[in-house]
Amino acid sequence: MAIEAQLRNFILKNYLFTDDESFLDDNDSFLEKGIIDSTGIMEVILFLEQEFGVRVEDEDMVPENLDSVSRIAAFVRRKKAAA
Amino acid sequence: MPDSLVDLLARSVQLRPQAEALVQAERRISYAELWSGISAVAARLRRCGLQPGGRVALLLEASPEYVAAYYGVLAAGGVVVALNPAAKAREIAVWLRHSEAEFLVAGAHPELAEALAEGCSCRFLRIAELNTWREGPGVTAEFAVPVGAAAPAAIIYTSGTTGSPKGVTLSHRNLVSNVSAVVEYLRLTADDRVVHVLPFHYCYGNSVLHTHLAAGATVIIEGSLVYPHRVLERMVKERATGFSGVPATYALLLSRTDLGSSALRSLRYLTQAGGAMTPADIARVRALLPQVEFFVMYGQTEATSRLSYMPPEYLASKPGSVGIAIADTEIAVLDDDGQPLPAGRAGHICARGPGVMLGYWCDPEATKQVLRAGWLWTGDLGYLDVDGFLYVQGRSSELIKTGAHRVSPNEIEEVLLALDGVAEAVAAGMPDPLLGQVIKAWLVIRPGAQLDTREVLAHCRRSLPLYKVPKQIVFTDALPRTASGKVRRAALAEFDVAGQED
Repeated sequence: MAIEAQLRNFILKNYLFTDDESFLDDNDSFLEKGIIDSTGIMEVILFLEQEFGVRVEDEDMVPENLDSVSRIAAFVRRKKAAA
Repeated sequence: MPDSLVDLLARSVQLRPQAEALVQAERRISYAELWSGISAVAARLRRCGLQPGGRVALLLEASPEYVAAYYGVLAAGGVVVALNPAAKAREIAVWLRHSEAEFLVAGAHPELAEALAEGCSCRFLRIAELNTWREGPGVTAEFAVPVGAAAPAAIIYTSGTTGSPKGVTLSHRNLVSNVSAVVEYLRLTADDRVVHVLPFHYCYGNSVLHTHLAAGATVIIEGSLVYPHRVLERMVKERATGFSGVPATYALLLSRTDLGSSALRSLRYLTQAGGAMTPADIARVRALLPQVEFFVMYGQTEATSRLSYMPPEYLASKPGSVGIAIADTEIAVLDDDGQPLPAGRAGHICARGPGVMLGYWCDPEATKQVLRAGWLWTGDLGYLDVDGFLYVQGRSSELIKTGAHRVSPNEIEEVLLALDGVAEAVAAGMPDPLLGQVIKAWLVIRPGAQLDTREVLAHCRRSLPLYKVPKQIVFTDALPRTASGKVRRAALAEFDVAGQED
């Protein structure tokens, strides 16, 4: 499964409590749309570390890397390429 | 003593008009600019017909516009009703109706149209049209409508239940006295710069904002703690002298940032309120930042914000204490009959002083329960030691403290009961290492009805902001009840053994 699809499933299931994909666009800002708060972001990071085997450093925790499905997917790919 | 927060702010404007009052991202607003923004809001409200005592609701994110609107309403003689911008239309409508707000000042908000449609008659004013940041009138508070220090200045809603929303009503004197006491013990000056991550509409965030503006200091608005590393960078870059958080704020900073090794050379003080922080976490922060004064504080919305603070020099010798009463305030521990208990004996924590609220808005019954015989009954239990240091041991009230938020269980239950198939529902706070408490709900389903956890959570998500959505749902056959039929909340913690966890 593509990284995007896995992420979308995770967010839909755990924060929007639905399977309906129309609730979440890959470019939706988690912050602006109120999808995830400060504890949610910790759970997302745990998911990334377990599911994709990437390590999220403190300095990686910026909206440029984590604030949408597309951004996270790009971040995960960069991390894997660098590993 | 000055009559209102507007008078306190006017002194800061006079002292250093060109100094930075507010910073947010790339925006920097001087005291003179802030004053002009306030004047514009006040003038516009009065042109629209706002009379002294009229309620003006704000539905605004933490921003310079929020600050201009808040002081603008006070300057026009109105009563500020600052609403949680994360709230859903259902809650917003409840507060607008209950406060009988004449105006709602807001920007773009996804729930706005629905909230306004739900039967409230208030007039909507767009913040963008209300505010100007041009240099306005000279530095004088003459435009302020004098309403008197005893008049209501603000209503802070602590719950959004349909039946009984609780609106803590604060006078101008409440706000001025509490702000002045905090400025004094934190020794705030015009050279201070605080990074502000707390919600403005709660009493703690409200206090951080007004105390720093009263001191002529700079408030750097960060809005949220979703990216803790960014907050720390901001503190370094802005040469912050101060920072305020709840226990969860510090737990996050400790776990996800390099609090000790960073270049926080300007930092002078940290404050902590909003629930008990573990002595271990306090010790970790102090070990990482030994040059910084750490203020443990205690209070509640009904007392404007602050009731006690821990002088930092006693932190080591009085572990676990929330300190001594703030200026002009008296704290006592009383028994069930209202008689004072001797040092060391646990009872009801009560307080009196200039910060104690006028009462709950339009709710004399609820007011009578907490304002009795000259005392504010906080709902907290604890004791005073022989030196007058207060120790909080528990709460007799049911309010759930999760992160920086206070949530009434009734509000969650009301939403759960509105879902088809739910016969009974109860919600309570469960201990959580990061957030203090998380919300858990127990449900009894009607015979023949089918519901799963996902459906319940999706329903909650539609009617409640994210932080009020339960983290755990348990389906059970019956709830523990007393002989009179009341749910025994205290029994819920042990109830899981019998209940079926989903």
